[in-house]
Amino acid sequence: MKEPFAKLSPFHVNPDSILETFGLKEDDFASASGEEKESMVEMHKSISYWQDALRRFRANTVSMVALFVFLLCLVFAFIGPMLIPYDYSEQYRSSQKLGPMEYSKNEETIRALSKNVEAFYATGLRPGSLTALSKGNYVISYKGKTYAFTLEKALDKSVIVMQSDAEDPLRLVKESNIKDGVYTDYTAIAYTETAAEDATVLKLRTYVFPHVFGTDSQGRDIMARTMYGARVSIIIGVVAALIVLVIGSLYGAISGLCGGPVDFVMMRIVELIYSIPEVLIVLLLQVVLKDPLQAWFQSGTSGFVKAMSDLGAGIVSIFITFAVLYWVTMARIIRGQVLQLKKQEYVTAATALGASNTRIIAKHLLPNCIGPLVITTCLQIPSAIFLESFLSFLGLGVSAPMASLGSLCSDALETITLYPYRLVFPAVILTIIVLTLNLVGDGLRDALDPRLKK
Amino acid sequence: MVAYILKRVAGSIAILLLIMVVTFLLMNAIPGSPFLTEKSTPEQIALAEAKYGLDKPLYVQLWNYIKNYCVGDLGTSLKMQEGTPVKDIIFHQGKFALSIKLGACALVIAVLIGIPLGCIAAYYRGSWIDGLLRVLTTVGVAVPTFVLAALLLVVFSVNLNWFPTLSGSLPDAKSYVLPVISLSFYYTCYIAKLMRTSMLDAIHQDYIRTAKAKGVKTHILVLKHALRNSLIPVITYLGPVLAGIITGSFVVESTFSIPGLGKYFVQCVLSRDYPVIMATTVVLSALVIFMMLIVDITYKLVDPRITLTAKEE
Amino acid sequence: MEENKPLLKVQDLKVSFFTPAGEVKAVDGISYTLGYNEVMGIVGESGSGKSVEAYSIIGLLQDPGKVTGGSIEFEGEDVLAFTPAQMRQFRGNKVSMIFQNPMTCLNPVYTIGNQLTEALTCHDSSISKEEAKKRAIEMLELVGINNAEKRMNQYPHEFSGGMRQRAMIAMALICSPKLLIADEPTTALDVTIQAQILELMKSLQKKENTSIIFITHNLGVVAEICDRVTVMYAGRIVEQGKVNDIFYRPQHPYTKGLLTSIPRLDEDGLERLIPIEGTPIDLLDPPKGCSFGPRCSQCMKICLREKPPFAEVGEEHISACWLHFRDGLPKGDEV
Repeated sequence: MKEPFAKLSPFHVNPDSILETFGLKEDDFASASGEEKESMVEMHKSISYWQDALRRFRANTVSMVALFVFLLCLVFAFIGPMLIPYDYSEQYRSSQKLGPMEYSKNEETIRALSKNVEAFYATGLRPGSLTALSKGNYVISYKGKTYAFTLEKALDKSVIVMQSDAEDPLRLVKESNIKDGVYTDYTAIAYTETAAEDATVLKLRTYVFPHVFGTDSQGRDIMARTMYGARVSIIIGVVAALIVLVIGSLYGAISGLCGGPVDFVMMRIVELIYSIPEVLIVLLLQVVLKDPLQAWFQSGTSGFVKAMSDLGAGIVSIFITFAVLYWVTMARIIRGQVLQLKKQEYVTAATALGASNTRIIAKHLLPNCIGPLVITTCLQIPSAIFLESFLSFLGLGVSAPMASLGSLCSDALETITLYPYRLVFPAVILTIIVLTLNLVGDGLRDALDPRLKK
Repeated sequence: MVAYILKRVAGSIAILLLIMVVTFLLMNAIPGSPFLTEKSTPEQIALAEAKYGLDKPLYVQLWNYIKNYCVGDLGTSLKMQEGTPVKDIIFHQGKFALSIKLGACALVIAVLIGIPLGCIAAYYRGSWIDGLLRVLTTVGVAVPTFVLAALLLVVFSVNLNWFPTLSGSLPDAKSYVLPVISLSFYYTCYIAKLMRTSMLDAIHQDYIRTAKAKGVKTHILVLKHALRNSLIPVITYLGPVLAGIITGSFVVESTFSIPGLGKYFVQCVLSRDYPVIMATTVVLSALVIFMMLIVDITYKLVDPRITLTAKEE
Repeated sequence: MEENKPLLKVQDLKVSFFTPAGEVKAVDGISYTLGYNEVMGIVGESGSGKSVEAYSIIGLLQDPGKVTGGSIEFEGEDVLAFTPAQMRQFRGNKVSMIFQNPMTCLNPVYTIGNQLTEALTCHDSSISKEEAKKRAIEMLELVGINNAEKRMNQYPHEFSGGMRQRAMIAMALICSPKLLIADEPTTALDVTIQAQILELMKSLQKKENTSIIFITHNLGVVAEICDRVTVMYAGRIVEQGKVNDIFYRPQHPYTKGLLTSIPRLDEDGLERLIPIEGTPIDLLDPPKGCSFGPRCSQCMKICLREKPPFAEVGEEHISACWLHFRDGLPKGDEV
């Protein structure tokens, strides 16, 4: 039965010269040790699901850019208002109907002056119906020094100019005395270094902040309003999504876990809500809830009621709407996930090994549901923002002086033919927020649920 | 199939009844009666009392209200057009027809443009066409209808003067253009996105591989084997599209000053003309539910697997 | 008569998948020939590259996969050089394929008849509807589907798994192809149905004179139907030979391992089943030497350093293992 070595074609090697033929060493045909074998099998470092998801998300350029832009929007909405001297609700009487980066006549005068003085306080830049400082005690802190002074009579159309190295550092200049950025006449203000207790702090400025997005017909700064509106919209979106998350996931989980008749009844309810044209009911709720909510706001004194009444009936009814109608998608997804997981062999195995229900939920079901939960919640935010803006646009939703991106668009629409930019800014911000959130949500879905990506 | 349709019709009627009850109860939560306002004239009070028995218990009122609706009596307007029967307002003043015309156009456009766009994107997956369409559709679903409507209005009506600023009762084809684009744009983009995903999903299925192995031409592969399968999720989405188009008509009709039902409904909501709000909600809900029924039945027709089993989910 | 001219000649075929993590050499230089009217089994565990190899013959490689080297000749024609249109004519007409899961391989929204006749009409546009239908019914009857005429108008979901696989076979053979590639056609079926399908394929192969490449991980199936067997491991052929040689005189330690890991009815049944230790290698980062080395009980130092060449260990029987060069002889007649 033994065959000659020469039959081992295609090589036809001589057994005696086999080592030379292949250029092998004597001990090459010795058995390899276990370690040697092990060393050949380089196991890849195994990475956890979350690390993998993070890696996938990072690799997704579009989602990363979207996330970055959304963070910029967050900065715009939440930090922006601190950086600009205008308030969303204040009307700047002299600065109505300004275009983007435009200055009113009054602001122009002060702006010219600002280039020639150290610092100033101008009554003409004050918000509110009165562009005047009423009489009383005031205090200014400048370069570590305190200047306290008293106004004997109300002050208007004037600028307080600071020249810290002069003998009379605080100077009162009438606006009429300013020509081409120079003041021709002033009166020195007497001051002390200890402020009276009821003194109002005045903040000096060194330049006139532009109305970057312009102002509206009431002289409100549109950028301040857009920042505030974006903040309101984002908060509404997040809170609504959280409401949906809590209600939907609990409902879905209970339905999926219980199964049987409980599941049957619960799912029929979901189907029912699903087939109701929700926006009609939303509009209805907006109308119906207004009075009861107002009554509730007035009756309650607790912190919660106070917070709710600050938000206003419109926003609270949006939340209620979400709590009543919008959780069904989430519930369906979570139930589906739970049902699917319940069928998995490893869950059966855990049950067979005697794991308790709590343990199965905590160890097996919950971690596997986090992906869909995160994705659905993230995608719920833009849809809530959309709904809010839709309602505000129709004149429901938030009520003045509060603003949301939707209500800003709605306001802008009234004067669209004359001042189209008033629509552009809130609309663009709204679109960017929704767009980036959608893209981040898509990215999360691809990262957390790789099965969905082909 | 017949059994399935009957079952679905019964279900739809049940949902509609439920919506009527919910609407009635919600309206009842408002102080007073949904059929009266603070300033109702004694005449109106007498009329409503006779009709709904306002002094009688709630369930009697509810029963009367449902009974009246079933025979087509939708009540009378209290504010917007004081004293006019709501039925006349909705159906006989052209409002309903106007909104339906607008909505139908938008739906047809959304389907006829969205589905081909999705197919094209899937077919040329990875190419610049796909990239362009993806950017367009992704941005498209992030632009609110009212923003788009306003922008179109400013650019094409006010600045370029191509289309009328006030569409009015849509007297000519030109006046349809902007409202229909505004109304259908979001859904065109959404359907295109959905179609692309669904098509790509279908293309990766085993039966496509089988067809390829048979030597089927690429375009037949896409148009015959992938398209019909990938249409199924798109059809299921048509229900929400319909509801959305009706909602969108509130905005679009307001923006373009079209005296349709949507605009009127919003006005009623703002002026709290309760009988009209109730009636409009019920009529529009009925419309949405009816269309969803049709969509569901179409869905069963496209997918033979479900036709015979007639099972849910 | 056709001995000199093989039906299919695969030479040094290399297929890689270009994944984000790196190049995966799914098929790393395999060569074989297949004669007319021959049934060859390709055996290997999952990930050994056996399906990928078959897909590249019929041009169905999925996206990140690419043929990176070698050639495939079908009746002397270079398959890899085909234009898409030529490839389309080639598929279904000369080579056809049946797949693992009959449940998902038929389009759920078209009738069986529609899908059967489509295979005919897309290669021969002159064929009339009636003719196509007649031929389809014939084929259905041939694969043992009763009541074929009625069955033509039914949808796949109205067929059982075995029936669907029969329909798939009918569809694959309707254009009388010269080569049928069967990718695990029985794996998803019940054991009794498996036997029926194998029986059917065997009889059809004789009747239609079709060559078959039968891809499976089930050695029992191979013994049943194949003339020759190729054993693959990690994208390479480790052993190839006539079915009896492979079963009774296996030479490569991997083949031996495979055979000792399945129960046999012809022995007295007291022997233990011996599983192959370890897990298949990571194709992203394959070992330098013999792929099977790390799992091989007789592994030598050389095995970890150099890939083994083929040794002809019998008539039409080759095996790639350094052991042949150490021992200088195949130890036949043992398992």
